[in-house]
Amino acid sequence: MISKKAAAAGEILQGTLDLLILRTLVLGPAHGHTIAQVIERTSENALEVEQGSLYPALHRLEDRGWLSSEWGVSENNRKAKFYRLTAGGRKELSAATKRWQRMTRAIGLILGELNE
Amino acid sequence: MSLRRYVHRARKDQDLAAEIESHLAHEQDANAARGLPAEEARRQARLRFGNPRTVREHVWRYRSLLWIEGSWRDLRFALRSLARTPQFAWIAVLVIAVGIGVNTAVFSVINAVLLKPLTYPDPRSLVELRNTSPQGAFPGANIPKFNVWHQQTGIFQQVAAYDFGGAGLNLTGGDHPEQVQGIHVTADYFAMFGAPVIAGRTFTSAEDSPHGGNVVVLSYGLWKSRFGGNSKIVGSTIQLDGQPYLVVGVIGSSFVTATPADLWVPFQFDLNSQDMANYFTVVARIKQGVTVSQANAQLILAADQYRRTYGGEAIPPQGGFSVVSLQEATIGDTRFPLLILLGAVGFVLLIACANVANLLLARASARKHEFSTRAALGAGRGQIIRQLLIESLVLSMSGGLLGLGLGYVGVRLLLNINLGNIPRLGANGASVSLDLNVLLFTLGISLLTGILFGLVPAIGASHPNLVATLNESGSRSGISFSTGKLRSLLVVSEMALALILVIGAALLVRTFYKLQAVDPGFDTHNVLTMAMSVSGDRFQRTAPVAQILRGGTERIRAIPGVLDAAASNSLPLDGGLGMTFDILGRSKGDRPFTGGAGFSSISWRYFSAFQIPLVRGRNFTEDDDASAPGVVIINEAMAKQYWPEGDPLRDRIQIGANAGPAFAELPRQIVGIVGDTHDGGLNRDPFPIMYIPIPQMPDAETALNSRVAPLWWIVRSKVDPHTLVTPISEVLRVASGGLPVAHVRTMDEIEVRAISRQRFNMLFLTIFGVAGLLMAAIGVYGVMSYSVQQRTQELGIRLALGAQASNLRNMVIGQGMALTLIGVAIGIGGAFWLTRLLASFLFEVRVWDPLTFVGTPLLLSAVALMAIWIPAKRATRVDPMRALRLE
Repeated sequence: MISKKAAAAGEILQGTLDLLILRTLVLGPAHGHTIAQVIERTSENALEVEQGSLYPALHRLEDRGWLSSEWGVSENNRKAKFYRLTAGGRKELSAATKRWQRMTRAIGLILGELNE
Repeated sequence: MSLRRYVHRARKDQDLAAEIESHLAHEQDANAARGLPAEEARRQARLRFGNPRTVREHVWRYRSLLWIEGSWRDLRFALRSLARTPQFAWIAVLVIAVGIGVNTAVFSVINAVLLKPLTYPDPRSLVELRNTSPQGAFPGANIPKFNVWHQQTGIFQQVAAYDFGGAGLNLTGGDHPEQVQGIHVTADYFAMFGAPVIAGRTFTSAEDSPHGGNVVVLSYGLWKSRFGGNSKIVGSTIQLDGQPYLVVGVIGSSFVTATPADLWVPFQFDLNSQDMANYFTVVARIKQGVTVSQANAQLILAADQYRRTYGGEAIPPQGGFSVVSLQEATIGDTRFPLLILLGAVGFVLLIACANVANLLLARASARKHEFSTRAALGAGRGQIIRQLLIESLVLSMSGGLLGLGLGYVGVRLLLNINLGNIPRLGANGASVSLDLNVLLFTLGISLLTGILFGLVPAIGASHPNLVATLNESGSRSGISFSTGKLRSLLVVSEMALALILVIGAALLVRTFYKLQAVDPGFDTHNVLTMAMSVSGDRFQRTAPVAQILRGGTERIRAIPGVLDAAASNSLPLDGGLGMTFDILGRSKGDRPFTGGAGFSSISWRYFSAFQIPLVRGRNFTEDDDASAPGVVIINEAMAKQYWPEGDPLRDRIQIGANAGPAFAELPRQIVGIVGDTHDGGLNRDPFPIMYIPIPQMPDAETALNSRVAPLWWIVRSKVDPHTLVTPISEVLRVASGGLPVAHVRTMDEIEVRAISRQRFNMLFLTIFGVAGLLMAAIGVYGVMSYSVQQRTQELGIRLALGAQASNLRNMVIGQGMALTLIGVAIGIGGAFWLTRLLASFLFEVRVWDPLTFVGTPLLLSAVALMAIWIPAKRATRVDPMRALRLE
């Protein structure tokens, strides 16, 4: 039981990966590998990006028009595809952030009650 | 939802593959930076990422429209699977093609006749004016009626009159005079029907008034054929009946009406006329916003006004006026027969569907293993149903496409043979065309049939008992009980539907032969008829017409091969006039001593030319002329109806007492009684007719007659009458001072035309009946041979246990005939119920005609027996050893 819980802690909640990607790209354009690393490091390695779902998420966001992409050369001098936040993406980010905050607050309220 | 995700999928996938490579390279770099050896760095990067293919598939699937992809895959699969069984596919497609073909054929006729709007501007607002009476509503108008209707400006925007050009006009001048179809119209006629004027103009209202001058508008056809399409013709004069007429305009070729014309001349109505004979038709354009029922309400008042102005005799008691939409008026009584035909082809299509459903059921049970395997591999029920439905739709759409072609070609062929006097079909059915309506109809029924015959086996196949089917050792262990029942049910319904169709067809065939067997009351054989138009000024009086009669008759009878010659103003079976009469000396209005009868003006040799027997009294002679006392001959029907007692030969009658000044008849003595003729059609009882000698007609009556009807010449010959056309025309030209003849027909041709509608109905219904019968036979054959094939093993065991081959054959026949007979029983019941719809088409054949109701089921059973015989025979040839070894 305990080990299972611990494993689950690092998984990213369904649907939040999109939000994390959008938030990461506020800092500037980045390619997939960087995005994963930034998320993991910023969360002090509490979150682990499952790499298999990162790329489907990126493509989904691009299809929705929230990201744009172009091929470029990375810091390692390698070919890489860089993603950039579009205006639509910025709007979605602020909306999604608000939704997230409302939800965590609501969950926090419930959990707080339970703790008392 | 954005559509972006569905496009450029392959390119995007390549992009993703490159992106994943790039990611792995970066991860490898990071691992190498942590000090791992190159190989290990690479391995760990791949390990962490997982399978790149899974990611790519994930994105690929997200970018696809699953349903369409699946259907496309199913479609390819269906085509492959049908291609594996080409025999099945062809039979199914052909059966559907026949079913859809007959429907397309009938619908294309219905589309042309009933559905397409008339080709006039704003056709919905056009109405025909009718006289109503307790017997029904009939077209026909005279000047007083036209006058009253024309004044109804509250409901009508425009009112126009036209006749049918029955008398014809002689286009004279030049070397060869020609009889042309000239129609009288009022000035508004062209505007109302939107006639395109390609040169000049149409009539002014001044030209359409009495003494408006001789003016004419030419049709495109006459302008081209007679005047070489010369546009200078407008403003010049042509000769009609020897009078100069000013050509004021030419109408374009696109102008097609129900009353085709070579040229038009103005009516020039004298609105003070009291002439009560109805000899033209009136059409009006209803004002915008006025409904037909409002117009009819207003016309009740108009009828009152008419009665006040022209007297109570001018309109029958309880009579009045009404309008009916011009489209309805044009369609006439053809709607019901066409709908009956549509119902019949609906039956054919149902039989075709049942047939294909049966084939598909057989196929589905042969494919049980395939479906069970697919279900075991995880195919959902919906997926299997979809697969089967797509297969049946492939069949139905191919069949529909083929049927569209078959139906179109078929209907053209049939209409070339016989138009059945159906209006709006054009020359040889030219207006029956493949338009959007027909295409949509065919597409619609193709889809519908595909779903109809596909769904039954699809649902049956979609919940297979996996374990049972997969455990079965082969596909030969027999047809499951429920599928077998379903297939039997389909065969029974096919038989029932086919029987109803064939009974309907048989009733019409019997009717047709009864009609052909009717003695028309006159001899039609070797009798030639031709029309001479006596419409000119010369023939406004009786004497010149009588003179032509005498001269013409003499000269024709002198031609070798001619047996007899006569003339009349109407032909039997070709329509005619009716008049009222009173028997003198009886109290007026006291039935049955006053009434109506057919009115036929004839020359003295008419009865001998037609070989109509004289029953009593005497025939007309050449001496019954204007100077002799008035005489009349009546037929037996008239004698029977109006002289139930007493002797008609002692009475005198007064014809057309209330019919206006044109019929200033003097009393006539009845001098003879002749045999009845079926003048009103072979399917009608002979009605009363009175015959008067043309030389005794009052001048005004001749003048009117000459306007509305030609003089028909009737020649009986020893030889083929067609060989006599030229010499007869020649002597008539001499006798008449240059008049041409036209509309040359034999009485045999007229008789054929008189029953062409019945022939049309019979022809179509027989074709459908035969198609249904054959399909039903194929159906019962298919079911029985499949059943024999499925039961090879059982039959083999029976044989091994000592059953005789004949026992097995009789068993199969018994089962097949049981299905047939159940179908026949249901079909007889259905036919009892449905044939009453055919009542109005039948003649001397009862709706429950015993011969048909006994003979047709026997015929159907015999055909079914032949179809069953083949598989039954096969059952006896089962080799017991082979059958047992099949296990």
